[in-house]
Amino acid sequence: MYKFRRGIPKWTAVFSALFLFLSISSAPQNQSILIISEQDYEKYSRVTIQSDRPLSSSVEKSDAFVFVKIRANSPFRIQRESFRSRFIKSLGWSQGSGSYTLTINTENENFSIDSFKIQNPPRLIIDIYPNRGQIPPTSETDRIRTSSQTLDPECIVIDPGHGGLEIGARGKFGTLEKDLTLAIGMKLAEIARQTRASNVVLTRDGDVDVSLEDRSAIANNNKATVFISIHVNGSYRKGAAGPETYFLSKDATDEEARRLAFLENNSETLENNIQAEDEDLIKMILWDMAQTAYLKQSSQLAEDIQDELNLLWGTRNRGIKQAPFKVLTGVACPAVLVEVAFLSNPQEERKLLTEEYQRKIAQAIYQGLAKFLRDNSR
Amino acid sequence: MDKKKLMILASLLLFLVVLVIIYVNLGGTAGPERPQFISSAQDESQSEEPKEPLTIILFFPSEHDSLLHREERDIIPESSLAQQAKIIILELLSGSQQGFLSPIPPETRLRELYITREGVAYVDFSREIMDKHLSGSSAEMSTIYSIVNSLSYNIKPIKKVFILIDGGEKKTLGGHIDLTSPFQPIYDIVAK
Ligand SMILES: [Zn+2]
Repeated sequence: MYKFRRGIPKWTAVFSALFLFLSISSAPQNQSILIISEQDYEKYSRVTIQSDRPLSSSVEKSDAFVFVKIRANSPFRIQRESFRSRFIKSLGWSQGSGSYTLTINTENENFSIDSFKIQNPPRLIIDIYPNRGQIPPTSETDRIRTSSQTLDPECIVIDPGHGGLEIGARGKFGTLEKDLTLAIGMKLAEIARQTRASNVVLTRDGDVDVSLEDRSAIANNNKATVFISIHVNGSYRKGAAGPETYFLSKDATDEEARRLAFLENNSETLENNIQAEDEDLIKMILWDMAQTAYLKQSSQLAEDIQDELNLLWGTRNRGIKQAPFKVLTGVACPAVLVEVAFLSNPQEERKLLTEEYQRKIAQAIYQGLAKFLRDNSR
Repeated sequence: MDKKKLMILASLLLFLVVLVIIYVNLGGTAGPERPQFISSAQDESQSEEPKEPLTIILFFPSEHDSLLHREERDIIPESSLAQQAKIIILELLSGSQQGFLSPIPPETRLRELYITREGVAYVDFSREIMDKHLSGSSAEMSTIYSIVNSLSYNIKPIKKVFILIDGGEKKTLGGHIDLTSPFQPIYDIVAK
């Protein structure tokens, strides 16, 4: 991207659009890739090896190590994602004849493993359960299934900002906010679907216009447990940098509360004199202030997500922020708007264009979300 | 008959005069705009002397941090609050004289500005404020709160600011901050 910096602006736009397109669509067809990632859960650590072709493999435990052997007729390109784990100390790779071996080095030999494969895309998953007393190994998905059988299923609504004619912010290299929000939103949805037994809904999964009202309506119609709107920031300041997580400001809700109070005080007369169209108007007004009831939880969700993003970007906690965001006002559940970084900052734009960073951001948001859901589980 | 008509007319006129007096007096407590207008108008008729310049404070974003920064400026006082408010917006549109950033696209024009008795200022901008706006939440916040803070800080009767574009209500500048409700100033985003 760098060398196009001084080129004709149109060219930079074309190239970055192309680059973004390539990075959004999956890895090139003719080149096989292995993506290694790790994530800690309450009772186990999960190593995921993802590829673009079916994997033939064996998994073996020996002392404090796990050896994962993957047979390969042609070479793989290996992409490792950085991780923090309570139990896994390191992940190492070695290449033999016709195979690759991943060595998982753990804290101690007291653990059991569970490995399985899933498709679309092909993934080999190795779950490592440290033996702490006699805790039976149960996966997180089982736990959620059993604990909320009688309640509404958990529903995560992910809102990739902008889309269609609404391009949002635009970076120096021509990157469009609407493309990044979609790329990150889709990755977040993928992670959530892989790790939870919840209904995951995207307000858009293509480059289309969706009105701000429709976005909150999608959340409410699906009885969302949480709503996360994803954006990339833009500022007049070239140096503005880092992630910010917002929840709705009180001013905005105060205004709505006043409108509600007015309606309540006048409801008798209104009911008697109501016309069909006015009834619609009142429903809309009540819908408008839905977020008021969830401000406290929304601020907690914002904090959980911001903490993870600060860890990722190495930013000091700038604190969560409040602002009257239109998309949040009508959402009837804990709701936040995440500005993952600044597109107006060329350094951050360059990072945002890489699939690796998009995935890391999605992972960080998911981690914050998972903590919030854990703390608020019924 | 004519005499009776005249009497009715005269009493109606008297009634109207009384109404106007009551209205003006009530305005002194309820609506701040009117007395200001009247006193300024009187000043104007009394003398042609140059008026004392008035120091106002404008709020601009800066390259160095995410806060709004004060910039003092002297203006010629105007005859009404709405007129005064217009001058403040025009000064804001002309940009900083101390190297701060311009929060409003330079092509933007102020179309109209009026203040209601409840203290809500309606500021109507040409559509360039939206069409030429640098998109992004932070950019939208700088634009909105430089306008809202500059108006509310200098003209105390203004409690809230409603931003209109091309004579009408718009949802947002670029997909983020809600323009369908009036804004109150926020001073904790101002540099100390
Ligand atoms: Zn946005």
